[in-house]
Amino acid sequence: MAIMTVRGLTKTYPAFQLRDVSFALEPGRITGFAGRNGAGKTTTIKSMLNLIHPDAGEITCFGLPMPGNEAQIKQRIGYSTGTVSWYPRKKIGEIAAVTRSFYPGWDAAAYRRYLALFGLDEQKAPRELSEGMKVKFNLLLALSHKAELLILDEPTSGLDPFSRDELLELFLTLRGEGVSVFFSTHIISDLEKCADDVIYLSGGRVRAALPRRQFREQLSRPGETLEETILRLEKEAQQESAQESAAEPAKEAEP
Amino acid sequence: MKHLLKKELTLSASPLAYLFIAFGLMFLIPGYPILCGAFFVTLGLFQSFQAAREANDTLFSALLPVAKRDVVKARFLFCCCIEGCALLVMAAAAALRMTLLQNAAVYRENPLMNANLFALGAALIIFGCFNRVFVAGFFKTAYNFARPFVAHIALTFVIIGLGETLHHLPGCGALNAFGFEQFGLQLALFALGLLAFAALTALGCRRACQSFETIDL
Repeated sequence: MAIMTVRGLTKTYPAFQLRDVSFALEPGRITGFAGRNGAGKTTTIKSMLNLIHPDAGEITCFGLPMPGNEAQIKQRIGYSTGTVSWYPRKKIGEIAAVTRSFYPGWDAAAYRRYLALFGLDEQKAPRELSEGMKVKFNLLLALSHKAELLILDEPTSGLDPFSRDELLELFLTLRGEGVSVFFSTHIISDLEKCADDVIYLSGGRVRAALPRRQFREQLSRPGETLEETILRLEKEAQQESAQESAAEPAKEAEP
Repeated sequence: MKHLLKKELTLSASPLAYLFIAFGLMFLIPGYPILCGAFFVTLGLFQSFQAAREANDTLFSALLPVAKRDVVKARFLFCCCIEGCALLVMAAAAALRMTLLQNAAVYRENPLMNANLFALGAALIIFGCFNRVFVAGFFKTAYNFARPFVAHIALTFVIIGLGETLHHLPGCGALNAFGFEQFGLQLALFALGLLAFAALTALGCRRACQSFETIDL
């Protein structure tokens, strides 16, 4: 049974539309959510977390619909978003202490372990951290309460190559412990390193949602790397969108 | 709710919100429109909203394993805590003026509003308006607080103006009673203020919960 299901998600903004996004996240797997900047990754993730209200579509998590079960579902989810700085002037230790009180399953040992692994100092405030360290701090909070599903929005952005490698290794370790990881990225090599499944989003539409091996078999041309495949698919999607845009005024002009 | 209130008190609040509780002592200043003290208390709360917004507090709270409406309720509870503390300070100052200092010339000759139960009731109405107009207005967007705060300022100064004017009108002198004169009337006016505060806060909270459920963060 899927740990999270997204069906027919649609959200319209004045300059952007997320169209009929559907996919499912399987337990104990790492899913990479790829797409260029502005493809709709963050909008999708925010919808999954009930932070924005889709115009249409349905999201269920752990078999429960998000409306009415929000608190229960979020107890089992860990979320981290890029370099957003929570309470920049408060000490990391203070923020963690308050956060801990919301999670009966808070794992103090894991918290200490990740604190050391990420090289974070509890006495420092987020405003004193580099962008990469802010990402690590957000991850620290997401990883310390025994979440069954981690939803991570661009967790590798701003990280140096060593930290990125460590983080991707950590995803593999967590998968071994039965944790599902869903992370968005525009760095395709991250997917090659650890993703079991790949969801590729372009122009607000899911262009492919497949296990990584199948993704390569079905969509890559001989000799193409995953990055080259996604770059080609992106160009094709852009051409398709341009053709659609050109066709629409012609359609409107018809009597 | 207990954990959310702790978050409000430790992470979200600006130190000014606590510091500005001391403006309740303005109830001791003679020849000054004492209800301005209540306005300054709400100014401290406004600073908290500003600090919380800059700290991405709304998004942080919405991601916690709580219902979204509880995020709103906790903010209201925090405001009520600060307002309650300020009211206690004002009440202490008013009690001093009603007892030990009731015949002090500096207060007896004061043409402005006296610190009594009516003044405390009026301060409660200012707090209620803050909760209804500003706090509920803020949660319409969860980021825009300029317009609701300007509306709150305008309304507050109308209330202060009324408070300073009413006791000069014929037949309304009892509003400015000293000591325990007109105690029954004063107590009734305070109770009215308390009722207005409770109603305005409950209305504001209900409206804010509805708005917060529908906005995109």
